Amino acid sequence: MENPICLPGQRLSICDNVYTCGQGTYQRQGYIYSMLAGTVDLVDRNGVKVIEVHSTGEQTVISTQGDIVTAQVYIITQQFAKCYIKCIGSTVLRSPYRGLIRRENIRATEKDKTEVFKSLRPGDIVLARVLPMTEAHSYQLSTAENELGVVIAHSEHGYPMVPVSWTEMQCPKTLVKEPRKVAKIIPENIDTGGIVVDS
Amino acid sequence: MSRNRELISKIGLRLDGRRPDELRRIRCKMGVFSQPDGSAYIEQGLTKVLAAVYGPHQVRSRQKAQHDACIINTQFSMAVFSTNERKKRPRGDRKSTEMSMHLQQALLSVIETDLYPWSQIDVYVEVLHADGGIYPACVNAATLAVIDAGIPIKEYVCACTASLGNNEVPMLDVSHQEEILGGPTLTVAALPMSGKIVLMEMSQRFHLDHLPKVLNKALEGCKDVKAILDEAVKNHVSEIGSATGWANTTS
Amino acid sequence: MFTTKCFIKKNKIGNFLKHVREHYIRDDISCGIPSCDDCNAEASSHLNEVHLNKCSLFKFEHFIILDTNVILDQMDVLEEPIICNVIILHTVYKEVKHRSLPIYKRLNAVLENPSRHFYIFVNDHHKDTFLPEDKNELINDHNDRCIRKATSWYMGHVPKRHFVLITDDAKNRQLALADNIPTCTITDYVKHLENNSILQDKLSRKDFHSEKEAKDIFPPHLSTAALLKGIKEGVLHQGTFRASKDNFLEGFVSVDGFTEPVLLQGRDGLNRSVDGDIVAVEVFKMENWVSPSEIVLEDEGVSEESIEDVEQKEQALKNTTVQEAEIKPTGRVVGIIRRKWKQYCGIIQGNSEGLYQIFVPANRSIPKVRIETRQAEFLKTQKLIVTIDSWPRSSRYPHGHFVRALGRIGSQDTENEVVLLEHDVPHSQFSEEVLSCLPKLPWIITEEDEKRRVDLRSIDICSVDPPGCTDIDDALHCRLIEEGKLEVGVHIADVSHFIRPGTAIDLEAASRATTVYLVGTRIDMVPGLLSSNLCSLRGGEDRFAFSCIWEMDLQANILSTRFHKSIIKSKSAMTYEEAQLTIDDQTKTDAIAESLRNLNKLAKILKKRRLENGALVLASTEVKILMDSETMEPLDVELKKMYQTNSMVEEFMLLANISVAQKILQEFPDCAMLRRHPTPPASNFDPLVKAGRHLGFDIQVDCGRNLADSLDRAVKPENPYLNTMLRMLATRCMLQAVYFPSGTLQKEDFYHYGLAVPLYTHFTSPIRRYADIIVHRLLAVICGSDSTYPDLLDKQKSSELCQNLNYRNRMAQYAGRASVAFNTHLFFKGKLNDEEGYILYVRKNALQILIPKYGLECTLYLVKKNETTLFEYDEEHQTQRAGDVVFHTFDPVTIRLQLDSSNIQHEKFSVLLVQPAIPGFSVPALSKDDEQVNDAEPVKKGKKRKNIAAKSPKKSKS
Repeated sequence: MENPICLPGQRLSICDNVYTCGQGTYQRQGYIYSMLAGTVDLVDRNGVKVIEVHSTGEQTVISTQGDIVTAQVYIITQQFAKCYIKCIGSTVLRSPYRGLIRRENIRATEKDKTEVFKSLRPGDIVLARVLPMTEAHSYQLSTAENELGVVIAHSEHGYPMVPVSWTEMQCPKTLVKEPRKVAKIIPENIDTGGIVVDS
Repeated sequence: MSRNRELISKIGLRLDGRRPDELRRIRCKMGVFSQPDGSAYIEQGLTKVLAAVYGPHQVRSRQKAQHDACIINTQFSMAVFSTNERKKRPRGDRKSTEMSMHLQQALLSVIETDLYPWSQIDVYVEVLHADGGIYPACVNAATLAVIDAGIPIKEYVCACTASLGNNEVPMLDVSHQEEILGGPTLTVAALPMSGKIVLMEMSQRFHLDHLPKVLNKALEGCKDVKAILDEAVKNHVSEIGSATGWANTTS
Repeated sequence: MFTTKCFIKKNKIGNFLKHVREHYIRDDISCGIPSCDDCNAEASSHLNEVHLNKCSLFKFEHFIILDTNVILDQMDVLEEPIICNVIILHTVYKEVKHRSLPIYKRLNAVLENPSRHFYIFVNDHHKDTFLPEDKNELINDHNDRCIRKATSWYMGHVPKRHFVLITDDAKNRQLALADNIPTCTITDYVKHLENNSILQDKLSRKDFHSEKEAKDIFPPHLSTAALLKGIKEGVLHQGTFRASKDNFLEGFVSVDGFTEPVLLQGRDGLNRSVDGDIVAVEVFKMENWVSPSEIVLEDEGVSEESIEDVEQKEQALKNTTVQEAEIKPTGRVVGIIRRKWKQYCGIIQGNSEGLYQIFVPANRSIPKVRIETRQAEFLKTQKLIVTIDSWPRSSRYPHGHFVRALGRIGSQDTENEVVLLEHDVPHSQFSEEVLSCLPKLPWIITEEDEKRRVDLRSIDICSVDPPGCTDIDDALHCRLIEEGKLEVGVHIADVSHFIRPGTAIDLEAASRATTVYLVGTRIDMVPGLLSSNLCSLRGGEDRFAFSCIWEMDLQANILSTRFHKSIIKSKSAMTYEEAQLTIDDQTKTDAIAESLRNLNKLAKILKKRRLENGALVLASTEVKILMDSETMEPLDVELKKMYQTNSMVEEFMLLANISVAQKILQEFPDCAMLRRHPTPPASNFDPLVKAGRHLGFDIQVDCGRNLADSLDRAVKPENPYLNTMLRMLATRCMLQAVYFPSGTLQKEDFYHYGLAVPLYTHFTSPIRRYADIIVHRLLAVICGSDSTYPDLLDKQKSSELCQNLNYRNRMAQYAGRASVAFNTHLFFKGKLNDEEGYILYVRKNALQILIPKYGLECTLYLVKKNETTLFEYDEEHQTQRAGDVVFHTFDPVTIRLQLDSSNIQHEKFSVLLVQPAIPGFSVPALSKDDEQVNDAEPVKKGKKRKNIAAKSPKKSKS
């Protein structure tokens, strides 16, 4: 069955114990209305029917606290690394957001001894978690988890490196090892296909 | 002399052949550009407006950012060739700034801004040809572009003008010619479904007695506009859906 | 309802701007024919299938479709009710509007008349009859194509009906015939109608094929393009042509670049221009300039063909006009930029037989007009209206056509009609639409009315008006409310209750602006039911009023003022005379008498105070003409009598107006309708000051107060009328008082000079003045008994309204005077009288004499043409001397009056001097038997004359 098309402002259903608002809808005076032009989905969650509307075009998402994002480092200093957020979860962003990884947020342990240049280098692709927002112009990111950190990095000679330990990656050509905060990756989980690497 | 010109002829037709309660022909198209997140083009009679929406994206200026909502940045401009006389229209002159503000006001009323904290939505409208009712066309185009961008809105915001012909008959959607010849023009931006008025502007002083009928006419016009936009969005959605096959994927 | 099919762009180039306009084509436009099943019945369609157009050219019943040129040229024919069932195409309608607004208005009047069965078909928005303009196609050709297309569409659309296209455009006709459209010219059409003789007269003449052989007697006009080029290059000059009143071969054009108007002489010089036309002139070289001839030349031509007499006169003109001293720029008309032809009133010259007649306009600056008529015998007895159609080169006179007859020459009705027409007074019957706005009779006061109004029926109110007045709009009352405190009420008919804004009756009243009083008749502003019944505050009847009520102390100081709508019942409608008698008769002590006495007392105080403030007492010669009720001929002319009560009523009306003016200005600072009387410029007073100086009085004119005082002082016991005459002179120095909306002027300009009050308005006569209705509405808003409406508060609209009111008021005044003048003439017809008069002005060659008895002014010429004069004129002292006799301003004289009727259209008095006798100039007094005045006047007059003779030292000598 084809999902029905709905338009913004269209009344979808009564809002009660059975039906509740989901993504792309809002509630007003006991009814559920659509906020998007798209298709209506009925999702059953624990016996409650959640009405969701999915837009036809690309989703616009905003990273919120706790989201896992894919970012590319472009500047490092003693105190922090600046990066562009390219993906939120599995959604590719049309325009990158700026993110900031502070020195103390790179590793979970030995925060004082962490040095930024030994963990992240410009051009690295990292997985990070969004921290609570404090200031406007950039997102605070953290890689202080085992699963987070550098996933793709290139050596000084430009070859993709492979992780050799939690803290090192090696260039397969020159065999030079470089220090990194390496993410523990279960290969199936990496969806590199969606990541645009502009090297 | 021009003041005495009849806007509605003896047989009840306006100068361009419409009846007083008829809109001009509206044609619109969504998704006209690929670069912005959403875009739309609308023709109301000969008034032609392009709108493009970018965002939501990260705010550019730190001062304006809000922690609980996104900001909407609107920019109105007119093409140099949009009116009879070709003249330079620098952005940021008084008229465009005012238009931008009004447009922002209209959009703020419908966009669910609290879904996008710390971010910003840019709406650019460009008038390609001006033939009366510029503001309504801009609002309507912006609405379409916002929908195209997939930004959640409570409902459509539509705008329409109305005026008084021959000093007694309210008439809808005044053209440039009628604007010049006629008296005051009332511009209304409204949420047609909930019946809320978002913005109302009067071009001249006007007797209060006329207001209810002109306002009602303008609101009717907004509803008519909404019906037309609805149709356009529906077509656009089903077209996109069938083109990508996406609509059929989920059972 | 949203049925736009498609649209085209319409380009309009002007000032090299490209305009793009939308043009919607519709599918819901009705053809207007009642029996058509395909179209929705259109309510606005008056077409009727029962009516027949009886034209023998076509063997069938038909609807008529007209071309633009027919409407533009033949409106007079179309206004005749014989032609019905006409479809006006929108293309044509628009073009008519574009080309001529007056014709457009007349067309609208016809369209609105349901009995004429006219209908506008919107062919240019109809999906089947719309035609896009071709490139390289002239607009005219396109319009013609649209007309043909619409006609053939009609023929296909309603096959069982027939349609006829009437056009005077030969090419269009030809093309129409090719499309099998039945067509003819309007001339042919009218000729084949039944009862066509009147219609044929009204046909405008544009075709002159019969006269092609005639030789051209005028030089050709330049083409429009050549004119424009000439003007642009400065070779030609544009200006308005003004014909000379005395010399039909002379005229002037004021143009830029010359301080003096350019003189035009002779047939070639004038070249078919008519007074008022905007013409292009070529100015001759300086050596060819001449001076104005100053001779009187009358066009005595009797027929179209001969021009010898003109040539003769031109020769005479040439001979007289070479006076080196007074040469003026001279030129000739090379083209007409815009004709300003109007409808002209006049008579038929009446000395020729046949189809063509020469029409002599009453206005001497308009040339005679040749018209074609089949009812010449009848028209010779009539005053008629004629309009000019064209003036071909080969014709001595412009060609025109008869529009309508006004009535028998010299009859009262005709003259009234002429007076009304000349002064642009709207005087047609009230239309159905207007009459439908009237309340239904019997009119009753409902409970709701009673609730909303203050009931003053118990109060003793009375009205005081001139005898025979049926439109009583004011009533008064006065009662003692406590010791030393009087309540005075002015009650004005509540006309605004019946005339609601925006209704047909309101628009009509606004356009008429005022009731016009002519001798023996009255042109009402509002229909009679209102003016003489429902709004008239008649005695003993319940009426709605707008009351202005003051509390005053016995010194006439206002303690409080209030306004409200009320219901009143006038106890008695009195004349001034009756009221005066009631006041004077001390035996009467009823409420009315008491209140009148109180009012009179207060009024005297008010008047005194007003005069102290510098209000002017001005004099004018208002006369009353007694009419024979049956023959409608004037029996006698007398000055209006004044009683104390006149002044009493006037005082309270002034007070009410002033109070209202203050109130409305306070509440509506921007749009209060006020009346101001501007302070005249000092130079206006020159004649008055001069006249005063010669008599030894110092007339101060620096402010109203001083003027009033100095006028009061200027009294000579031996000449009791002198003061009155000085006041009359003062009146003539004044400017017109005008209405204006308060927002358009500065506060100091609101001043009313004559009354010496800072604010004034008109509130007290809403039955006969529209301004008062507006003031009533404003005041009603203030009292909370009515609401505003948009136009009331619109400064622009009020300003436009005031302009109309001022114009109409002025015209009404002139019309009234013209009517009195005509009736005075009528009164003097066939009479030969010696009359008492006073010299008003001393002129270079004449004395202006006022006859107070009739309010008549006439001119006594001291110099006859081509005679040497007996008189010496002293410009310094403004005197004329002949031997021992010296004429000063304001000297009494006796003159003999006789009406000179040699020119029917321009009757005038011939005046001869009787006293003081000047040998060789004056005539002996008439013996009593010669006098034809049949009342006791001569005796009184004789006495008076003796008195004057005895007192005047100059006269005793003669």
